[in-house]
Amino acid sequence: MMHQTVLCGSATVSDGRDVHLRLDGLTKRYGESVAVAALDLAVPKGELVALLGPSGCGKTTTLRMVAGLIKPTNGRIVVGSNDITIMPTYRRDMGLVFQSYALFPHMSVAKNVAFGLEMRSVPKPEIERRVKEALGMVRLEALAERKPRELSGGQQQRVALARALVIRPSILLLDEPLSNLDAKLRDEMRNEIRDIQQSLGITAVFVTHDQVEALSMCDKVVVMQGGKLEQVGTPVDVYEHPASPFVASFVGRTNRLKGTAQGDGSVTIGAMKVLVPGRPGGKVEIMVRPHRMKLVEEGSVEDVAGQEVNRLAGHLKRVTFVGDLLQYSVDVGGAEIVVEAASDHGRGFRIVGTPVAVLWRVEDTMVFGRGA
Amino acid sequence: MEDTNTSAPMKLLVAILFLFLLAPVILVVPLSFSGEQILSFPPESWSLRWYAALADNPKMISAFWTSLTLGVIVTAISLAVAIPAAYVIVRMRTLGSTFLYNLFTAPLLLPTIVLGLAILIIFASVGFLGTFTGIVIGHLVITLPYALRVIATTLGNLNLACEEAASTLGGRPLTVFHRVTLPMMAPGIVAATALCFLVSFDEVVITLFLTGPRLTTLPVELFHHVESRADPLVASVSVLLILLTLAVVMIVDRTIGLSKTFVK
Repeated sequence: MMHQTVLCGSATVSDGRDVHLRLDGLTKRYGESVAVAALDLAVPKGELVALLGPSGCGKTTTLRMVAGLIKPTNGRIVVGSNDITIMPTYRRDMGLVFQSYALFPHMSVAKNVAFGLEMRSVPKPEIERRVKEALGMVRLEALAERKPRELSGGQQQRVALARALVIRPSILLLDEPLSNLDAKLRDEMRNEIRDIQQSLGITAVFVTHDQVEALSMCDKVVVMQGGKLEQVGTPVDVYEHPASPFVASFVGRTNRLKGTAQGDGSVTIGAMKVLVPGRPGGKVEIMVRPHRMKLVEEGSVEDVAGQEVNRLAGHLKRVTFVGDLLQYSVDVGGAEIVVEAASDHGRGFRIVGTPVAVLWRVEDTMVFGRGA
Repeated sequence: MEDTNTSAPMKLLVAILFLFLLAPVILVVPLSFSGEQILSFPPESWSLRWYAALADNPKMISAFWTSLTLGVIVTAISLAVAIPAAYVIVRMRTLGSTFLYNLFTAPLLLPTIVLGLAILIIFASVGFLGTFTGIVIGHLVITLPYALRVIATTLGNLNLACEEAASTLGGRPLTVFHRVTLPMMAPGIVAATALCFLVSFDEVVITLFLTGPRLTTLPVELFHHVESRADPLVASVSVLLILLTLAVVMIVDRTIGLSKTFVK
């Protein structure tokens, strides 16, 4: 893949923070198939890092290797200055929050939270105090004596979070903690987890397949595919400057058009010609985010703030009203382009078949090579 | 159970089926209160004489105690073997796991008469015939597969993440097993206990080969009694056995019912 930049090690710690968790060539093979392939990653102290990717990309396997639940085939896991690659799980001092909550069904909420402290032989009065404190942090003091089955999904997940944090782990690991919750609760928990992580200043790794979670909560996003790193960067980096077509299409919505770059800053797509930044050559794929495009009446002289723009003429094929947005599908010389516009009380182009033009700034065009 | 949608003919059919299945069991109850010398239905006179006769029958009473002790010991050994075995087979999946599981549960598929015969031939040469140890081993052959199957299934259905969570929280493997795995397996263990005890307590076929003149179990003693005499004593023994079985089943139902509310 062209343009692949794997920023790790020195790059991620340029802000002077110490590296807390480092993965060196971490690999997991199951027979012939490779789940995680020579992963290098450095997580600075106190950062929340998302491992983002589709299912089967190796993100959960990576997290489980860090927790010690899966034995790596190769590579090293280093926390601070300790190599913990072969350390058993129970000595790793990591708090893991599971997708399925994994609360102990036969213990009360308080007992669940106390478990890790009991394992550490913390004196009883201190256990009581810290359990109370942890349940307070997730606003569940009132439910301490309930059994997990008597709680809602969101409450169970908060207990799981309290249980993982009460031991004051060196690193907090979260394995798709929000995917069993409904949409509204997910938003709440997202903020809650982020707030708690920030206030404790704890280093955390968050596994998710949801780009919104990754972009909105995390300091850094690690996009993975097929067991490999695709890109490491801040949420803005990953969204605005995707390193590969995969990242561009996985993180956020995008229009993809295949064409041939002429080497003079233009790309021909069928009979159409599009201007792009730089002077790439050869077979390329261009991508443009739907909300960066603008729909205008055909023949209008409307322009985008005097900048260099691309303009493609076509016909309105479909209009989809999604509340805050209007999504237009436009047939442009055989290809379908989706344009998003803020829905102003549902006003906008409504008549299918209308001749229209799609405008976007040349600098908003992303270009990726397609091999030879 | 929701029966609001069951139609009347269906209810009738189910009632008839239940009656068909339970008729012999129900029939035993009036028979046990017979005042007659010989088993006949309906009895012409009623009395408690056969319950009194049972209390005066030292052979039956000692056979009952043998069966009870046997049931308890066999159940205890079955669980002691099946729990770790199930753990190894289900949790530490190795190459031979499936093979071992199938091997250990195979006796369930064999006719007990064949097992009994095989055990007889082997025990005759070892000198285990007519001994308590011999009967314990014989019973284990049939109770172990039940225990292993029930416990392995329970273990397989547990949320592995709970045990993983316990280990990330600092639980060493043995601590995790007894603080998390074992309590979560409780319903399966209770079911296996009841099953093993009832199977051992009721077992006749294999036991017939293994008992001797000085050592016999209640079902075998009953069998011999019916062979030689046809008095209603067997009916009164049967009623007591039914009550005992019912008690065990009810305890299990209560416990598992409770545990289920725990687990879910």
